[in-house]
Amino acid sequence: MYIMIKMSLKIYKKLDLTGQSCAGPLGELSGVLEEISPGEAVEAILGDEATKKDVVAFVTKKGYKVVSEKNEGGKFTLVITK
Amino acid sequence: MKRVIVVGGGIAGTIVANRMARMMPEELEKGEAEIVVLDRNEKHTYQPGQLLVPFNVQDPMELIRPERELLDHKIRFLHSQKGEVTKIDPANHSVVTADGLSHSYDYLVIATGSHLRWDEVPGYKDAVYSPWDFESSLKLREALDQFNGGTVVINVAKLPHKCPVAPMEATLMLDDYLRRRGIRDKTEIVYTYPVPGIFGIKTTNDVMIKIFQERGIKIVSPFNVTNVNAKDKVMESQEGEKIKFDLAIGVPPHTGADVIGKSGIGDKRNWIPTDKFSLRMKDHSNVFVIGDTTDIPISKAGSTADFESYIIANNVVNEIRGNGLKKTYDGSVFCYIATGLDSGTYIRFNYAAPPVPPPPSYVHWWGKLMYNKLYWTVTAKAIV
Repeated sequence: MYIMIKMSLKIYKKLDLTGQSCAGPLGELSGVLEEISPGEAVEAILGDEATKKDVVAFVTKKGYKVVSEKNEGGKFTLVITK
Repeated sequence: MKRVIVVGGGIAGTIVANRMARMMPEELEKGEAEIVVLDRNEKHTYQPGQLLVPFNVQDPMELIRPERELLDHKIRFLHSQKGEVTKIDPANHSVVTADGLSHSYDYLVIATGSHLRWDEVPGYKDAVYSPWDFESSLKLREALDQFNGGTVVINVAKLPHKCPVAPMEATLMLDDYLRRRGIRDKTEIVYTYPVPGIFGIKTTNDVMIKIFQERGIKIVSPFNVTNVNAKDKVMESQEGEKIKFDLAIGVPPHTGADVIGKSGIGDKRNWIPTDKFSLRMKDHSNVFVIGDTTDIPISKAGSTADFESYIIANNVVNEIRGNGLKKTYDGSVFCYIATGLDSGTYIRFNYAAPPVPPPPSYVHWWGKLMYNKLYWTVTAKAIV
């Protein structure tokens, strides 16, 4: 089911959030997530598990859904949609 | 002859144009290369200085100079209709200006910056003063002069915005300003921010939040402003908070320039998709993007543009020379953070290394003021 949902989504933007930025992963994501339309998603790459947990908690609280999660060598890729 | 066009004569465009001119004086003298800067405005405003205006630290008239005086004499500068870019066409390697002329390029550097979108939050323009706007920073100076106590709300409407540390600086300078006027005990300062905490980088947030707590500054976050009632002076958030205020200081939402959207080369907020290491526009190898204009997750700040200018200037000039020497951007940023009206700290970081601000001191405040003063003679002219 998760795979089907993900395949039908258009990735609006891929965000590499593994580096430092003043807005931080939550700030960078929140600005972009507000722009997505129905059927679109954002792919976010996160550098560690603690950040991944913070992001999942934050976006879920804001009403978004994490439709896929992948761990590759300690880096996490999330696909997030409305 | 190779033509390099720089669209935008703000901090980023000016520094990168001057750096390229300094790197290839012979090519420019011999007519083997040409650098053209295009901007609607003839005047150049040093926007970071606007933050100091409301607190009487900065003379606003010192923040504006003619762009022509800042640019190397070997650079062509077109302004007004001749410099106002109405279309950027990477597929055809050309830009169009408001006088109807099409300008072809071999290399393009887009430095169109970030712009305020006051109207995205109903009531914001009517009720909120912003040092991010030159005129509004002057009005805030007057409002502070007449302020005698009450609730002051500091708000960041949306991320990202230019000068990311500046909301914290405005808050801490305000705290100091009110103490010096003897009305801090009559004032509640409320800092509101769209994501949890007061700043996005955890190591910096942890240090700065302690300073806020020591100063008795109330923090309300996450707080995503939805509207401001200018008559009743109430700010509301998506989270359901309502804050009544006597004075509001804020950062309006930002987007990239309109010409980016009209040209169909940006995302939904007109930021240009950019490779975070090469600073090239995605899918267009002869187009570079610098400063606030990019969509890369890095600070929108003058120092970011300065660091990026080394990479872009190096890569453009060396491609023109055909020697293949390439540099990559490591995410370097340096920002002074005022923690009062005679103290400051700083953050210096890159993609890989998070910053921890040192303890506030007068030395870093002095450094901030000197950095601003040296902008005109050193930084903008790409002397170092």
